[in-house]
Amino acid sequence: MFVSNIEEIPGKTITTCYGIVSGSTVRAKHVGRDIFASIKNIFGGELTAYTELLGESRDEALERMKAQAQQLGANAIVNVRFSTSSVAAGAAEIYVYGTAVTVE
Amino acid sequence: MESLTIFLVLVALGFVFGKLAESRHYRSIHAREEMLVRLPTTSCKNPMGNNSPIIHAELVHGHVVISVDYFKQILAGLRSLFGGTIQSYETLLDRARREAMLRMKERCPTADQILNLRIETSSISKGENGDRIGSVEVLAYGTAIYFQQTSPPHP
Amino acid sequence: MNYQPSLPEYNDNVSHQQPLREFFVLMAGVVVFVLIGYWALGLVVDVAVDDLSPEQEAKLFPTLGIDWDVGEESMPQEQAKLQHLVEALNPCLSLPYPITVSLVKSDAVNAMALPGGKMVVFSGLLDAVSSTNGLMFVLAHELGHFKNRDHLRLMGRGLVLSILAMLAFGGDSGISDILASTINLRTAKYSQTRESQADHTALQALQCQFGHVGGATELFESLQSQETGHEFGFSHYFASHPELQQRIDDLHKFAQELGYAEKDPQKLIR
Repeated sequence: MFVSNIEEIPGKTITTCYGIVSGSTVRAKHVGRDIFASIKNIFGGELTAYTELLGESRDEALERMKAQAQQLGANAIVNVRFSTSSVAAGAAEIYVYGTAVTVE
Repeated sequence: MESLTIFLVLVALGFVFGKLAESRHYRSIHAREEMLVRLPTTSCKNPMGNNSPIIHAELVHGHVVISVDYFKQILAGLRSLFGGTIQSYETLLDRARREAMLRMKERCPTADQILNLRIETSSISKGENGDRIGSVEVLAYGTAIYFQQTSPPHP
Repeated sequence: MNYQPSLPEYNDNVSHQQPLREFFVLMAGVVVFVLIGYWALGLVVDVAVDDLSPEQEAKLFPTLGIDWDVGEESMPQEQAKLQHLVEALNPCLSLPYPITVSLVKSDAVNAMALPGGKMVVFSGLLDAVSSTNGLMFVLAHELGHFKNRDHLRLMGRGLVLSILAMLAFGGDSGISDILASTINLRTAKYSQTRESQADHTALQALQCQFGHVGGATELFESLQSQETGHEFGFSHYFASHPELQQRIDDLHKFAQELGYAEKDPQKLIR
């Protein structure tokens, strides 16, 4: 599954377009990491636990988007965009969307 | 003891009514998606396929605010103790996004394509930590274009 | 390029598990965790309390005996008599530190053991019992609490638990409610166990002091006759003391096991 952030997959031509596909996930880290993070808020620096959390969330969201594109019969997704928001305390929601196409 | 009973009653209410609202909303979403799937929507900037001149382009958007029920909040709180995916919020966001996109499409039913779709999500909450009203607002916007040979744009 | 309109059949963006099942599983997990934490911290508190010597305790809580408003008439002779009775129990109970008795004029029928070796007796108690034995039982019960350092144990547990709750849950009101109820249940059960133990200690002190245990249950019986109406079904699980009838029966049984006789109690002279 080709995924790109621009209008096309370089070197290939788009033959069919299926519309918008998206993947989203909401994840939370457990309370131990939360307590550690609030202590880290005093000292500053990278919160590695949350970096990990958001990284995993993005990967999962991408996987879900690819799965949805596959259901429609596409083999590439172009013009992919990410969107992050926080919907609950200590939890992050990642949304990724793009246009599903078939390329040759 | 009383607060425990009140809590259980609220959870039950949230679960029952939340589930009802959710299934009703999903039915409506499925029906409208079937109808509106003929309108191509992409996040690309270039109109796909058709090289005809574009006679009209306009910005269209759709938005919705959906609230979370008590059962979902409690489930999210429990889940954030242990870590993992918060399943109760996933359905909430899925519904909100699909609804926002459908409303955007409904704004321009005679358009030929919608280009450069973007989606913004924000969480709206009011009140102190314990009494937070959690809700999610999704805005979907894009440019709707009309080609020359189709009917004139919606006034 | 052409457009092929299609909709996905299976929604990948949501999980298809039953939310109710997840709710029960998570809730059970949390309750189990809390109970284990409470038990573990209880052990820690017990070890700390056993380590704390009475002199250190007296230094830590010098003025924790709250300044009770003694009312229009203070009762210095009665207070001196109570102090004398408490000291008379000393050979039987072998207390680790001296106890000071404060008598407060009030309708409450109660006596309390406070950290720092202070005992507060309310004058309503003196009105409710008519025998020296009955009064001595109540005093010995409170002294039993001192001996077992119960007041410190309960205070330590309460402190440790509120810190735990604050750290873990912040402001999440719904979950805190369920957990507060679980913790209260456990604390009540623990407190009831300590109360029974103090009852047993008091019974033994009475036997040692008088040679018999007549009049021990006098206060409970007197309170029982005043009890009106039925309490709401579950409240006795959350109560800090066992029910009156249960205490009376328990004491009779204990007396029988140890072979204590019950003779006529002495009349209380005020």
